[in-house]
Amino acid sequence: MEPDAELVKRCLKGDEGAWAALLQTHTRKIYNLCYRFTGRTAESEDLTQEVFIKVFQTLKTYDAAQGTFVTWVNRVARNHLVDHYRRTKKDRVTSSLEDALGGLEERPSPTAAPAAHVESRERKELLQRGLERLSPDLREAVVLRDLQDLDYAEIAQVLGVPEGTVKSRINRGRLELARVLKRMEQVKGPARAAGGEP
Amino acid sequence: MTHLELENLASDYLESELVEVQRLQVEAHLRDCAGCREVMADLRRVMDLCRSAEELEPAPWLVPKILRATVGERKPSFRERWSAFFRPTAQPRLAYAVAMAIFSFSIIVNAAGLDLRKVTLADLNPRHWFYQANRTGHLLYARAEKFYYDLRVVYEIESRFRQLRSQPSEPQPEAPRQEPAPGGSTDRGAPTPTQLASVGGLVTVAASSLTVVTTTASPRRISR
Repeated sequence: MEPDAELVKRCLKGDEGAWAALLQTHTRKIYNLCYRFTGRTAESEDLTQEVFIKVFQTLKTYDAAQGTFVTWVNRVARNHLVDHYRRTKKDRVTSSLEDALGGLEERPSPTAAPAAHVESRERKELLQRGLERLSPDLREAVVLRDLQDLDYAEIAQVLGVPEGTVKSRINRGRLELARVLKRMEQVKGPARAAGGEP
Repeated sequence: MTHLELENLASDYLESELVEVQRLQVEAHLRDCAGCREVMADLRRVMDLCRSAEELEPAPWLVPKILRATVGERKPSFRERWSAFFRPTAQPRLAYAVAMAIFSFSIIVNAAGLDLRKVTLADLNPRHWFYQANRTGHLLYARAEKFYYDLRVVYEIESRFRQLRSQPSEPQPEAPRQEPAPGGSTDRGAPTPTQLASVGGLVTVAASSLTVVTTTASPRRISR
């Protein structure tokens, strides 16, 4: 029996330590999933909390025979993110003050090499901005496959679509992301040159 | 194979999930089509970028916050409470404190002149402890003082010897010269009989002064 399923059983018997262990194991993955969808730290933390509250409330509906706990949690998270996306569609703006603050949150550590830090940060931002320009269907497929490292069968379970559709969405998502990133770099190149950057 | 067909198979090709026939078709197309080669290179770059992206670390307070939101303030189990109670004892500072306490206690017991193997009722009287501690302190002081005066006498004798050696020897009547022993002698400045007599007197004086110092530094006189 997988350890997660055992922990779930203990949780259902009221073992709070088991719930804490499940949280410790899965919070990071779910937080990353939320961040890839929203691109905002504070929003991702709130969403992660909401996802786990939902998981806690519906834990008795988890059936180990249907799939792994990771897949189930990802499905709960994905559904919650889709709901959140629909709910906040009207309020969403492409660039907000929070975005600017989010950028400021990652300050370089005094020990890190400044050039390496800037490069790594630029790559992260580029990827995040690129992902945000994908349609939700394609984005979730790419995130689950290439960032969350789930296999096709697990993604099919999370998204509730056949594996063929998953493969097709991942392929289209990657191609679209490649085009978006290329365009962004093309726009960034002249802007940098105009700003006198190397 | 068309460009669109190649695009549809691009991810499968990069993940080595194509059957042999399809793989060969894709490779044949890529050999002839620069545009599709570029698409494939971009796709590979995107996959590498995604897979090399570091996982973000959530804030350290996130898990405790979720725990509070789900199960409330978690009550520690009996075992956790028990271990929390004894956690301070599992630190090195406790061992240091115990060692220092034993050391201090042994000093006090020693100073109070208590023999822990034969403790009597009188030994438990604080007046007795005070008396014993006072006596031990004075004895120690007297010993130290005596040691100091002894050292002074010894140094005084030594300095007199040095003075005598450094003084030029008195002219002596011509005496038969002794031939040096074979192999030579290290005793180059041997004192004359007059000098030896003088040192003998000094030693007598020193011995008498030692007696005086001992008498002066006797515990009875000091404790008075």
